[in-house]
Amino acid sequence: MANDDKPDTSAEPLQPKSQQGPSEEIPPDSKHDATAPKPALEPTEQDEGDEDDSEAVSEISSPKAGHGDDPVAHAPPGALGVEPAAAAHGDHGLAHTMPIWMLVAVLGALMLLTVLTVSVTNYDLGSEGNLVVGMVIATIKAALVVTFFMHLLWDKKFHLILFLTAVLFVVLFLSMSITDRGEYQTNIDRYQNTVAAPAAK
Amino acid sequence: MSESTSQSVTEPKKGGHGAPAVPHGAEGDHAGHGHGHAEGQAHLAHHFDTYQQQFDAGKLGIWLFLLTEVLFFSGLFCAYTIYRGMHPEIFVYAHYYLNTQMGAINTCVLLISSLTAAWAVRNAQLAQRGLLMLNIVITIACACTFMVVKYFEYAHKFNDGLLPGPNFHPTEQVWELESFKHKHPEAAEYAEHLAKVAEERSKQKTPAAGVAAPAEPSAFERPTEEQIEPLIKAGVIGPQAENQAAISRPRNAHVFFSIYFCMTGLHGIHVVGGIIVWLWLLKRAAKNEFGPKYFGPIDYAALYWHLVDLIWIYLFPLLYLIH
Repeated sequence: MANDDKPDTSAEPLQPKSQQGPSEEIPPDSKHDATAPKPALEPTEQDEGDEDDSEAVSEISSPKAGHGDDPVAHAPPGALGVEPAAAAHGDHGLAHTMPIWMLVAVLGALMLLTVLTVSVTNYDLGSEGNLVVGMVIATIKAALVVTFFMHLLWDKKFHLILFLTAVLFVVLFLSMSITDRGEYQTNIDRYQNTVAAPAAK
Repeated sequence: MSESTSQSVTEPKKGGHGAPAVPHGAEGDHAGHGHGHAEGQAHLAHHFDTYQQQFDAGKLGIWLFLLTEVLFFSGLFCAYTIYRGMHPEIFVYAHYYLNTQMGAINTCVLLISSLTAAWAVRNAQLAQRGLLMLNIVITIACACTFMVVKYFEYAHKFNDGLLPGPNFHPTEQVWELESFKHKHPEAAEYAEHLAKVAEERSKQKTPAAGVAAPAEPSAFERPTEEQIEPLIKAGVIGPQAENQAAISRPRNAHVFFSIYFCMTGLHGIHVVGGIIVWLWLLKRAAKNEFGPKYFGPIDYAALYWHLVDLIWIYLFPLLYLIH
């Protein structure tokens, strides 16, 4: 989509860009090449191509934010035909856009893992084993959701750090509590073996 | 908005005379529907310089909110972890009362709604108004399906006396449940036998105290592992041989249902909140408010929705799939 966006973002910067585009060996119509949009974008305002996507776009698009609404008008026509390839690495001004095939693939993986986690309960892997398998599958599913559906993979790294901080504190919280609870296990065992015959009704 | 209204106020003044109401009304309409050149800044709040800045600020805000949500739920997960660590038999016992099928359906429904929410973000970015509205509608429909399934689950539990605290009076014993019989047919038979013996014993105690217990049928004289193991794990009979004649439910089994209702209830409240937000966004999407420069609200709502999904991803195996 970036290929579609750029030429008509505004009337003024159009000229230098369309001249630069071919000189960078990237013909504007090479939409099958997923990496094409990037080089076409960056030589205009930025030299390093390996920077974080969203960072790069933020620098590029912010000065132009005020310019007209051409992308709005232009996006729908190209929407169905061209996008999946171009949008894989494309950006729409403010943030990364997920290609449809990726969304559907992630859903498929999540569904498969759901089926797996349900069917694995039919097998006895020991009392802890089933819990561990269940949690591992749940964590893989959570990672898929966070990485792709919540597009943390393309998002600012700071948001990833924020999220991992929350996870870290949850892990600390739970592990401390579990360790502390383990201290009382002998008391519980004694109680269960003597006082608490479950017969009491 | 404020700019255009100030314009519409000043214009009639410049005109001075004539019909001020007409241009005023026209301008107001103009700004309200957001076409024409005014649209360029229509959704840029005055305290932001650029759309990028506005979007990034909102995104940081929603991530901080999600952070607090994760920590908020972690308290309940901690309660679950500790109680399960202390009394695993209660969790084994109580999970037979949960309908795994309904839980699995709800998991799939939420996952699908997560897809449509993520898709809606893409639609908003590409200004695909029709698809955006469709995806929001599907998301809302899935959320409502989730709540309806939850309603049936809750109603079933209320009906069967599976309530937290002193109201916990299950109408069915665990070994009478289909889910238990299906998994451990021998144990269910054995448990029924034990319950019958116990009943007879309590009947005999009243007329004559010293009567010896009736001889057990030969089939159950030496119960096998198959018969005993599931019952011990569910806390229905004691782990020691001398306790195994007595059959009951584990102590404090109702605590599981306190945890269950707290966790799923709080999650359900989040789903209801999500439905309200999506309805509001559907209304705004219908007005064609979203486009490449202004899709923040859809993105933030989707992030929230994914987190709600994420919590369910953990709740489902923890509550429904206990082995």
